[in-house]
Amino acid sequence: MGSLKPVGPESNEQQGSGFFATRADFLINWSRKNSLWPMPLGLSCCGIELMGLLGPKFDLARFGAEAARFTPRQCDLLIVAGTLTWKMAQAARTIYDQMPDPKWVVAMGVCSSSGGMYDSYSVVQGIDSIMPVDVYVPGCPPRPDAVIDAVLKLQKKIEREDPLGRLIGPATAPRPEEGTGKLVFQPNQGLPKGAWDKHAHDPKSRLAIGDPLPRKTEVKP
Amino acid sequence: MSDANATASAPRFVAALGSLPHCVSQSPDGPVVEVELAQLKDVLRALRDRAGFEMCSFVTCIDHYPSEPRFALHHQLLSFEHNDRVRVRCVLPGENAPTCTDLWPGANYMERECFDMFGVRFEGHPDLRRLLMPDGYDHYPLRKEFPHHGIEPDKLYREWDRARREQWTEGAQ
Repeated sequence: MGSLKPVGPESNEQQGSGFFATRADFLINWSRKNSLWPMPLGLSCCGIELMGLLGPKFDLARFGAEAARFTPRQCDLLIVAGTLTWKMAQAARTIYDQMPDPKWVVAMGVCSSSGGMYDSYSVVQGIDSIMPVDVYVPGCPPRPDAVIDAVLKLQKKIEREDPLGRLIGPATAPRPEEGTGKLVFQPNQGLPKGAWDKHAHDPKSRLAIGDPLPRKTEVKP
Repeated sequence: MSDANATASAPRFVAALGSLPHCVSQSPDGPVVEVELAQLKDVLRALRDRAGFEMCSFVTCIDHYPSEPRFALHHQLLSFEHNDRVRVRCVLPGENAPTCTDLWPGANYMERECFDMFGVRFEGHPDLRRLLMPDGYDHYPLRKEFPHHGIEPDKLYREWDRARREQWTEGAQ
């Protein structure tokens, strides 16, 4: 999709001393993906692994995502770590709504991914019932390595996004039921995922500089 | 040890109950006093004041559905001084029971949980709200007829979500 390349004479000694030319898309995505600020929503034992992840041993700071803030207003990555009950679901959704766009969600562990072993009346059977999820992490609880892998996968996903699509693209056009108060909620019906992902099912695809941007299919009003 | 005395003869607290009608039996984990609902509060008070049971370990309920009456209330009491325990079992004719929070303030949350899970109304409880399930939930999950997957577990969330969206659209207009 792009790269940071020095522009100027080809000689080695002058490389890096000039200026860089790149695409705005690439630059925005590059800065977004390397400074994710996680909002840790530790709900059960996955929260302990999350502490280990943010600690010095696994050190998520190596990937630019160590600045855990405990107010959703300053975060753009929601890590739901643990069992989400229906009683907690309203609070979790409120936290998600309070996070400023752009924002991403990681479902850490099987409980938040699918309800896990809590096939029960009190547990949300997968947090995609109430919010869109970008990366699911299996494990009970997953090791911190697995969550690092999830963050790396999320970075690749952010790389493929259409950053302005969140503002002007057709994907941001409100769905017919949204905003009308008539959105019928169905449990286990996932909300649309990767709405701004340009190549959701082709992680290897990259655009070269100058390629036309692929447009998403238009949403009929 | 008083435990040895308890197994050898009648438990030591029988004298404290005096003339209150009751029935003492032995379960594998200690003596059980069975009482009627009308005498429950008096028996509990006598056990606390005269037999030295300072602590109420738990208050819980057992659902014997489909037999009637279905609910049996259990109070497990512990005496630090004598190092023994007693369980008070009371079959509830309906869904009401007297509270024991005035005897043991620690029973507050246990009675709330019992109300939340079984729907037993504790008369005189200072704050009988749901403890584990959300406020406004219509069902009692530990009753035998309650299905495992629950009855509309997302109902309250849906209502909250709908009210929130309506609020947004009103604000936009």
